[in-house]
Amino acid sequence: MVFAHGFGCDQNMWRFVAPAFETEFKTVLFDHVGAGGSDLSAYDPAKYASLSGYADDLLEIGAELGLKDAVFVGHSVSAMIGLLASLQAPELFESLVLVGPSPRYIDDGDYLGGFSEAQIDELLDFLSDNYLGWSAAMAPAIIGNPERPELGAELTNSFCRTDPEIAKAFARVTFKSDNRADLAKVAKRALILQCSEDIIAPTQVGEYVYRNLPGSDLVLMRATGHCPDLSAPEETIAAIRAFV
Amino acid sequence: MSDDGEDAGPGPLTESLEDLYENAPCGYLSLKPDGRIFKVNLTFSKWIGFTPDELVAKRLHDLLNIAGRIFYEMHFGPLLRMQGFFNEVALDLVTREGSRLPVLVNAAEKRDAEGRHLFTRLTVFNATDRRRYQRELVEARAVAEAAQKELEALNAKVQSELLAEKAVLLDERATAALREEFIAVLGHDLRNPLAAINAGMRLLLGTPLNDKAKIIVEMVQDSTARMAGLIDNVMDFARGRLGGGLSVERNVAEPIEPVLRQVVSELQVALPGRVIETHFALSEPVHCDRRRIGQLASNLLGNALTHGAADKPVRIGATTADGRFELFVTNAGEPIPPVVLQRIFEPFSRGTLRPSLQGLGLGLYISHEIAKAHGGTLEVVSTEAETRFTFRTPL
Repeated sequence: MVFAHGFGCDQNMWRFVAPAFETEFKTVLFDHVGAGGSDLSAYDPAKYASLSGYADDLLEIGAELGLKDAVFVGHSVSAMIGLLASLQAPELFESLVLVGPSPRYIDDGDYLGGFSEAQIDELLDFLSDNYLGWSAAMAPAIIGNPERPELGAELTNSFCRTDPEIAKAFARVTFKSDNRADLAKVAKRALILQCSEDIIAPTQVGEYVYRNLPGSDLVLMRATGHCPDLSAPEETIAAIRAFV
Repeated sequence: MSDDGEDAGPGPLTESLEDLYENAPCGYLSLKPDGRIFKVNLTFSKWIGFTPDELVAKRLHDLLNIAGRIFYEMHFGPLLRMQGFFNEVALDLVTREGSRLPVLVNAAEKRDAEGRHLFTRLTVFNATDRRRYQRELVEARAVAEAAQKELEALNAKVQSELLAEKAVLLDERATAALREEFIAVLGHDLRNPLAAINAGMRLLLGTPLNDKAKIIVEMVQDSTARMAGLIDNVMDFARGRLGGGLSVERNVAEPIEPVLRQVVSELQVALPGRVIETHFALSEPVHCDRRRIGQLASNLLGNALTHGAADKPVRIGATTADGRFELFVTNAGEPIPPVVLQRIFEPFSRGTLRPSLQGLGLGLYISHEIAKAHGGTLEVVSTEAETRFTFRTPL
């Protein structure tokens, strides 16, 4: 079972969910290049100028670990990254769990993604305002040491660190992506986990994915927000377990 | 309450926790796990423009701009869940009037003994000035980065220009080598066959020839002589124009007058019908390259004989006076048109008149170069009365 984190986070976001599957599955967690404990020097602006660059990394992980017919669990933008990877290498994943997926964040005619182009541009400025919080040099990285009690109060915002410039580029790629046309090409069992009151991937977007992704199930969760894996881990675990 | 009453001032100091909460110099918010506000202090209420009652049951999201909402949802919210707190997060609150209130927010989760999340406490600091400063810093950084890029681009440009200059220098060196080779070719490969022709003609003249053959041999001799002169000119041009200028070997020991007289007699022999008047007044030794001055005089005189009116005398004169040597050549005839005069000392600048009479157009150029090499001048004045070339150089 491969867990892929979304924009703004790292693999630590699965800390309440992934352990529940460790007895039945071999669990694979990773940080996208630019996030968490990844090697920042591996960041190539050209490669990561589109989501397919991230999908290629997923293929590499699959090849390296010899994965076949795995369960893919992708949050937010990684739902689409996993989908692109499964199109490239159909044997890699047996099924897909898409947590808060969105094939396009920006409204387009009849399609309501939830955001306007201007709002996304505003987001990129916002990233600059939180430059300090992003700065990788602020405090020693404690990724890979996820035991909460050991976290000293002097460590500030230690999770989900990323290089500010990479964060901006990833935000641009994420929020300007459009993978609506890819949905119909996927011939896999898929589970869509749709939260209530999710402003990032509103319910109508989850329903759009459900309608356009053949072989998909839609579960509307009681959990609110965009991160049910953190706000409602038990409900998330139960939904995934019922699916697999 | 203070016990030392004597120093307590106008009244006893009191601090109530309730008042501290409501009127603290920062905003306090308490959020349910679903993000809804369930308690808020007066300070925050005043800043945002909503009453505490209005704020209760609003979500924090409702008070953020879009970008803040997205980012809170995707980064700070998860961060708070994972580590139980976050510090110094910059957010823009939207007030009742719709204006922006930049704030810094610290947050901590309140958990029960089992670690279950009960609610979240937020402390909000007004950060208008700090945000402005921070934006300026980010902008300054962008400016610095742009300047850095510009500098790098400039550096790269200078580098490539240096390389190009180096290439030009190498090219110039190659040209210099080519020039030496060219001069060698002129000196030997062209002159030697000409000498062979000349020698052959002299041998022919020593044998019995009919009148017609004799005339032809003399014509060939004239032509070879003229051609030898042209080759000399081209060689001098190659040395002067393509190299660093003509070199001169100055010598004061030998007198200059015999050289000039030799030039006159050579040309007089070639053109017996023409009148050449000489005016030499050389009382002092002249510090010059005699061969070069002879060449200069020969060019000027030859020029005057070619272009001057055939029925009028050509005059050549040389004087030493007032610390300088002066040589002049005059001829009568049509004045040189101003356009021709302008470029008369440039190479290959043959006049428009009677091109058949002229050589390669190098004679005056070489003469001018000889004058320059001596630190002197060569000037021309052309009027209806006469055309006069004057060479002046310090003794």
